[in-house]
Amino acid sequence: MLVQPSERDVTIRLVVNDRAHQFDVDAGETLLGALRERLGLTGPKEACYEGECGACTVLVDGGPVASCILAAGSMSGRAVRTVEGLARAAELTTLQQAFVRHAAVQCGYCTPGVLMVLTALLDEVPDPCESDIRRALAGNICRCTGYQQIVEAALDAAASVQP
Amino acid sequence: MQFCRVRSVAEAVDELSRWGTEGRILAGGTDVMPQYLRGEQSPAALIDISGIDGLQGISEVGGVTSIGALVTMRRLATASLVQLRYPALAQAAALVGAWQTQTVATLGGNICSAAATADTLPALLVADAQLMLVSKSGRRRVSLEELLEGPGVTALRPTELLRAVEVEPLGERGAEGYVKVSRRSAMDLAVVGLALRLSVTPSGVISGVRIALCGGARAAHRVPTAESLLLGSQLSGDIDVFGAVGEELARAVGPAVSPEAHYRRRVLRGLFDRLARRCTAQIPGASG
Ligand SMILES: Cc1cc2nc3c(=O)[nH]c(=O)nc-3n(C[C@H](O)[C@H](O)[C@H](O)COP(=O)(O)OP(=O)(O)OC[C@H]3O[C@@H](n4cnc5c(N)ncnc54)[C@H](O)[C@@H]3O)c2cc1C
Ligand code: FES
Ligand code: FES
Repeated sequence: MLVQPSERDVTIRLVVNDRAHQFDVDAGETLLGALRERLGLTGPKEACYEGECGACTVLVDGGPVASCILAAGSMSGRAVRTVEGLARAAELTTLQQAFVRHAAVQCGYCTPGVLMVLTALLDEVPDPCESDIRRALAGNICRCTGYQQIVEAALDAAASVQP
Repeated sequence: MQFCRVRSVAEAVDELSRWGTEGRILAGGTDVMPQYLRGEQSPAALIDISGIDGLQGISEVGGVTSIGALVTMRRLATASLVQLRYPALAQAAALVGAWQTQTVATLGGNICSAAATADTLPALLVADAQLMLVSKSGRRRVSLEELLEGPGVTALRPTELLRAVEVEPLGERGAEGYVKVSRRSAMDLAVVGLALRLSVTPSGVISGVRIALCGGARAAHRVPTAESLLLGSQLSGDIDVFGAVGEELARAVGPAVSPEAHYRRRVLRGLFDRLARRCTAQIPGASG
């Protein structure tokens, strides 16, 4: 479905996890397909492919998006961040460390998307309350944790970066 | 399929006239891409307008606000100008899907898709939205009411681009809001959505009423029969009229052909009451 024979290529130039890239994508290709299959970034996950579950969430210019329904051809000039681009020099972010401490990961399929949304939230609102966190996560489905550990990890991460 | 990335309105209308009905505009793509990926749509060209800077802004000219077609739901939900002067629109935009959808979904896309459940449409209807359309053969201006012809059907020509939407702000002694009922509290299309805009005289008489619905069988629409019931009422006095308006709105849902229509009618009465009380409580000196 990602690559149909009659499609014409389009060249895109974008920044992914702070590195500039230039490559060709097919006209109907999604950002998720390009990240996973062309750049080997398999952190963002494929699940519903309809924009409904959040497993494929990445940040585009800082805002969370469902990369499974975003046209790769539109991404020229954009800055994309995936879960691979969170940790710096192999050091996990405060949020990632809180996920580990709170066992907010079970099967892990939803985790890359959840981390991206919460990263965007903490950038915008450094001290979110529980309802801010739950509202931000409305587009992310987790079939394992029941969300409680995820919310606790996010609250903990917010508390540990407060001055 | 070909991907045409255009950089200006002039380039966009050129591509539109070149491709005609074979071309499809791509804005945020939250409607276009799922349809393409499911194999429901296979245009010969996607005309990507997302890089046109001139379609991005929100500006005020002579008491009217012009909102560019590419303004996103997230921006509508968070911009203070929209929150203050178009609260129903800000509230509706905040209810479109989840954050991931709101980051990319555009106002132009929501209008031009013209889904029967499109959340911004009732809010735009109560702000008397006028659409600025452009094609190679010129410009025209149509009201949103004229544009909407049915679910997914608009008066937009295949070679036309929606450039901007002009809306009329809420008056000083006015209040408005948007409420929606859906199956889940987030991420779900409206079963029914309702927008109300009121203006009130200093003595508390309702001097202006606009009510619009989405989620009925047809496109979003105003409900003049319900509006006229409310017009001229004294706010501080008897507000039993809210019940009658709710009944009238329920009648506007059309024949009870489906259980959904029956359900919509039932929820509409309560929904109107809730929205009307929320709005009147915001009008200074009207909470009698
Ligand atoms: C997970 C999910 C949840 C959703 N939830 C909601 C919801 O709760 N409420 C709701 O109302 N919608 C919802 N939607 C639908 C969709 O997000 C909205 O309709 C959105 O506003 C469409 O905007 P877009 O920029 O993505 O449009 P696109 O998909 O880019 O375009 C939509 C249509 O409009 C045309 N078009 C776009 N811009 C222009 C223009 N400037 N001039 C002329 N034609 C144009 C396109 O050709 C296409 O036909 C949801 C979608 C998804 C995937
Ligand atoms: S895979 Fe993208 S939202 Fe589900
Ligand atoms: S941890 Fe399994 S889906 Fe969330």
